[in-house]
Amino acid sequence: MDAVTIEIIRNSTEYIAEEMGIVLRNTAYSPNIRDRMDCSCAVLSAKGELVAQAEHIPVHLGSMAVGAKNVVEYIEKEGVEVEEGDVIIVNDPYIAGTHLNDITLLKPIFYNGRMLGFVANKAHHVDVGGSVPGSIGINAKELIEEGIVIPPTKLVKRGKLDNEILRLIASNVRVPKCTIGDLKAQIASLNVGTKRITELADKYGYECVVEAWNRSLEYTEKYLKTKVDRIPDCESEAVDYLEFGDELININAKIEIKGNRLRVDFTGTHEQIDAPLNAVFGVTVASTSFALKAVLDPDLPMNYGFFRAVEIYAPEGTIVHPIKPAPVSAGNVETSQRIVDVLLKALSEIFPNRVPAASHGSMNNVVIGSQTWAFYETLGGGMGARPTKDGVDGVHTNMTNTMNTPIEVIENEYPMLVLEYSLRDDSGGAGKFRGGMGIRRVYKVLSNAVLSITAERVKLRPWGLKGGMDGASGEHYVIKANGEKIKLSGKDTVTLSDGDVVVINTPGGGGYGKPEERNPYLVLGDVKDGKVSLSSAYEQYLVKIVEKDGELVVDFEETERVRGYGSKGD
Amino acid sequence: MKRYRVGIDIGGTFTDLVHFDEESKKFSVVKVPTTPKKPAEGALNAIEKARIEFEDIYMLVHATTLGTNMFLGQEGLHPPKLALITTKGFRDVVEIGRQKRADLYNLFFEKPEPIVRRRDRYEVKERINAKGEVITPLNEEELRKIAGEIRNKGYEVVVVSFLHSYRNPIHEIRAKEIIEDECPNIEVITSHEIDPEYKEYERTSTTIVNAFLKPMMSKYLTALLDALKGRGFKGRFFVMQSSGGISKIDYAIKKPAAFVESGPAAGAVAVAYYSKITGDSNVIGFDMGGTTAKASTVIDHEPSITTEYEIGGKAHAGRLVKGSGYPVRFPFVDLAEVSAGGGTVAWIDEGGALRVGPISAGADPGPVCYGKGNTKPTITDANLILGRLGEKLGGGILTLKKDLAKDALSKLADQLGMSLEETAFGIVKLANTVMAKALRIVTVERGYDPRDFTMFVFGGAGGLHGVELAEELNVKSVLIPPRAGVFSALGLLLSDYRADKVRSVIRSAGDISEDEIERIYAELVDEAVREVSIENAEIKMIRQVDLRYKGQAYEITVPWMNDVEECVKAFHDKHEALYGFSSPDEPVEVVNLRVTAVGVMSKPEVKAEKDAEHEPKPENYRGVYFGDGWMNTPIYARNKLKAGAKIEGPAVIEDYDTTIVIPPNYTAFVDGYSNIRIVRD
Repeated sequence: MDAVTIEIIRNSTEYIAEEMGIVLRNTAYSPNIRDRMDCSCAVLSAKGELVAQAEHIPVHLGSMAVGAKNVVEYIEKEGVEVEEGDVIIVNDPYIAGTHLNDITLLKPIFYNGRMLGFVANKAHHVDVGGSVPGSIGINAKELIEEGIVIPPTKLVKRGKLDNEILRLIASNVRVPKCTIGDLKAQIASLNVGTKRITELADKYGYECVVEAWNRSLEYTEKYLKTKVDRIPDCESEAVDYLEFGDELININAKIEIKGNRLRVDFTGTHEQIDAPLNAVFGVTVASTSFALKAVLDPDLPMNYGFFRAVEIYAPEGTIVHPIKPAPVSAGNVETSQRIVDVLLKALSEIFPNRVPAASHGSMNNVVIGSQTWAFYETLGGGMGARPTKDGVDGVHTNMTNTMNTPIEVIENEYPMLVLEYSLRDDSGGAGKFRGGMGIRRVYKVLSNAVLSITAERVKLRPWGLKGGMDGASGEHYVIKANGEKIKLSGKDTVTLSDGDVVVINTPGGGGYGKPEERNPYLVLGDVKDGKVSLSSAYEQYLVKIVEKDGELVVDFEETERVRGYGSKGD
Repeated sequence: MKRYRVGIDIGGTFTDLVHFDEESKKFSVVKVPTTPKKPAEGALNAIEKARIEFEDIYMLVHATTLGTNMFLGQEGLHPPKLALITTKGFRDVVEIGRQKRADLYNLFFEKPEPIVRRRDRYEVKERINAKGEVITPLNEEELRKIAGEIRNKGYEVVVVSFLHSYRNPIHEIRAKEIIEDECPNIEVITSHEIDPEYKEYERTSTTIVNAFLKPMMSKYLTALLDALKGRGFKGRFFVMQSSGGISKIDYAIKKPAAFVESGPAAGAVAVAYYSKITGDSNVIGFDMGGTTAKASTVIDHEPSITTEYEIGGKAHAGRLVKGSGYPVRFPFVDLAEVSAGGGTVAWIDEGGALRVGPISAGADPGPVCYGKGNTKPTITDANLILGRLGEKLGGGILTLKKDLAKDALSKLADQLGMSLEETAFGIVKLANTVMAKALRIVTVERGYDPRDFTMFVFGGAGGLHGVELAEELNVKSVLIPPRAGVFSALGLLLSDYRADKVRSVIRSAGDISEDEIERIYAELVDEAVREVSIENAEIKMIRQVDLRYKGQAYEITVPWMNDVEECVKAFHDKHEALYGFSSPDEPVEVVNLRVTAVGVMSKPEVKAEKDAEHEPKPENYRGVYFGDGWMNTPIYARNKLKAGAKIEGPAVIEDYDTTIVIPPNYTAFVDGYSNIRIVRD
């Protein structure tokens, strides 16, 4: 088979995954899928190997590869006969690979009676039942409290929707209309996918498509192995922590490179806990895939070939590979970020020029609502400084990339006023390159309500690298109408009265390199922009800035004196 | 003498001029190099080269990429010193944007640098809530202090953007008065004047982009008009908008951000006009040039429009990457663009796979066969090797060096272990796969079935790929209009006058009365009419309303039917048609009211020749490679083809600026307007 045909079939398969994503987005009911694009679509081989994927949120990359293969293996093991026109539904995180809110649908593609492969999609449903609205609550002690658990089940049998199963699911969720609408959208997307793959087989033939898919997997495997082979054999270890009450939960990772083999080992990581911070193995794989792809080659074509070239080991019973029935809803949003942090830290030893300091490391989940309304958003923060430039201010990093809600939208739709939305002054870790600034968001509620917050890096600050300082930690509190200030731990549920103010300060990114090596003119620019205060400029960067003729300038004499060497910058 | 209608499009490399002679009823075309430092000069050169008298021009329509170039930081274009004043607590909204990054996996990504630096952003105490009520009065004393600072620091333009000003602009209006009073020589632009729609980041960004472009565009357009007048031009002067409508110069000066994509918009207008002549109601416009291929759609002779656009933004495989540029909320012709043009380079990646693009050799040095030093094979080189492109182009002006192309391509062929022609054919097929993606974005992704469409193919390289590309999408019929190489610029002569007005209301459909809506429409119509009122133009007024289910973030636009309930019903129906379901029990919100005023211009009349079916004689024959191998293929000269000519594939038709390939099992027909329509047998 020639290289051109392989490339054309590979491209076409990728476009099909993307087109499935567009159909899903256009037909979905909930804003989670329509606007935040918390969904992904994939094409798989008959063995369940991921051939192509369109993901909009990195946490789905990798978890889909694990989840889909698990489902195909589950079906085989259980002796379920898959027929043309079937659609399988699953959300059991211990099979499908993220959390219960992510419902995965999988449809076999038959071509002239022969199994060609599968199309699949995964979408975040607003609510899947359980003890709290939205299904993600910080107090869950076991999986069952986080919603309905669906093992791989035929939702559509030979083209016919099973209304009994649909009703069973709809009866277990808080917004049945929305759930049914989104499931129908997922089915519509799979139908487009099977149609397009069938057209591809019409054009090139069954064998040719199968062969091209196999060759694409080999291509990615070979591409990655070649890259790894060029790296001298080495080992690197790191540890980082999650905050849970008074405890710190450690995540350990070791990266080993030997010849063309790359192995990631999470041995030593804290055992699973009775709280939703557990990350199922699919999330661990997703986070690992993100870190490796971002550092090794952001343009690396992703498919199952990647997992043939990389070995990921996480001992069972740990927070990165829990055993059922541990609750897992926040593993997706918080633990995934920390797994990336620990891997980036380990990778920074091997690739010192490619890895930034720690980013804000939390999705800063804010839920405010009452019985009649619910507002949910995640807030970005500061990105870690890079080996060649500053970290980006106020942005979502690593495992998520959802948009904010415009203030004018919030105030039109919810009984809230936003009092401030700004970059947090002096929050970026000082360094030769400065860490990105965190975000400050202040809400005033205009009715009684309940606030739930799930945020990390409230105690432990995002780390700097190569002498760079840590970024500011998160700082969240409620100011009552009488002026009383209640400090939040980062994992809280608090009752609010009409007029109360909620202040969220997200963490800043770590700095890179020694602050005293920063070009004084860049410090001056940051001071002029109010991103760094005069006192920080002097105390952390050792740059003296004074006002002269109504303008801020660097006092080089004093700067040279405190820095103790040439400071004109370069 | 009112003889010529002239269109001038200043692009990055070339300035194109098209004119229509009312006496001979014929179009003509001239191309001159763009003069980047003094763009007006290129325009004047083009008119001189066209040998038409300035006095004889009764109408001149202008399009320019100057706005975009300003964002690319072109030499010689100086950005003004800008200040921004926002509601206290919100000066960073423009820097945070929508908090998302444009690149998922790149740890070295950058967000677009804010146009107004943080040190130039001021905050003043004031607040209006979502209902439009003042909850904190404007602190005028504080504002006067800020104004003093602005005066001292030498700002040229000040942008004022307060929360909820789309609902109640009273504070923005007062702030403008105060700053104008304190700083008499500084221009003040408020957000409600430019874009009275909700969502603060997009409104502020649109206003800032306007402010950024305004001094330069105003200077440039005024200078151009003066220079034209100095040479005796007495006609009417118009500027093309990104929406495909044209407008008077004062609007272009007021809202320059509405004009940044004027060149590509002209192409869609040309397609719309020709679709009327040919009677095709669903048309895909496909424009393939030297570096990119662009796709657009024209439904019922109207170009499809979007308001989602970012200037300076990046596209990934044809789709805009949100957060990569600066949002501008004006109507734009809906285009998908991919990196595939004649100069696009084919290469082999680290994993040994053949790739096409995104790197392009452009027009200079251009493809290997131009012999100007490039050694990396391009799509044009592949077409040359396959015999699709002849060795002499432009009626013999340009001779292509086939040997050089062969040398370059055989290196790739060796690496792939394939023959030379298989490799060349592979490049063409791969390029088609990439371009098919742009076509899918504007059709399939927008809910259209390409099989219901005719594809209009233009641009210098379009004719080489059009038919095989159409086959990828099951498009049944392909049409190559005359002067395909400069077809885009033709749109400048075929446009109508257009003004778009919008106002956000955001109210429950049950709560807002028809009277209230009509009152707002009356204001919008008034503003729009003022902009389009020109002599002898018939004015069409289009009223539309954006609706959505409460809680959704996407609106659907339906025509205003003088009755809220009727509009809501139409909304449910359209939701059903677009998304496969509707929810008649869910509450619906009225989000925006829109008015488009179209001043209908007279159009050049193109006369049809009588046609008589006949089979023309080929000029000569050459070997052309199609999927099954080499075929001895007849070559025709387009300028000798008469109306009614019928040509069976395989065949090649050569034009002055484009070459058309007709594969086996296809037949081409020439109509009375010199269009070539190609259909599958």
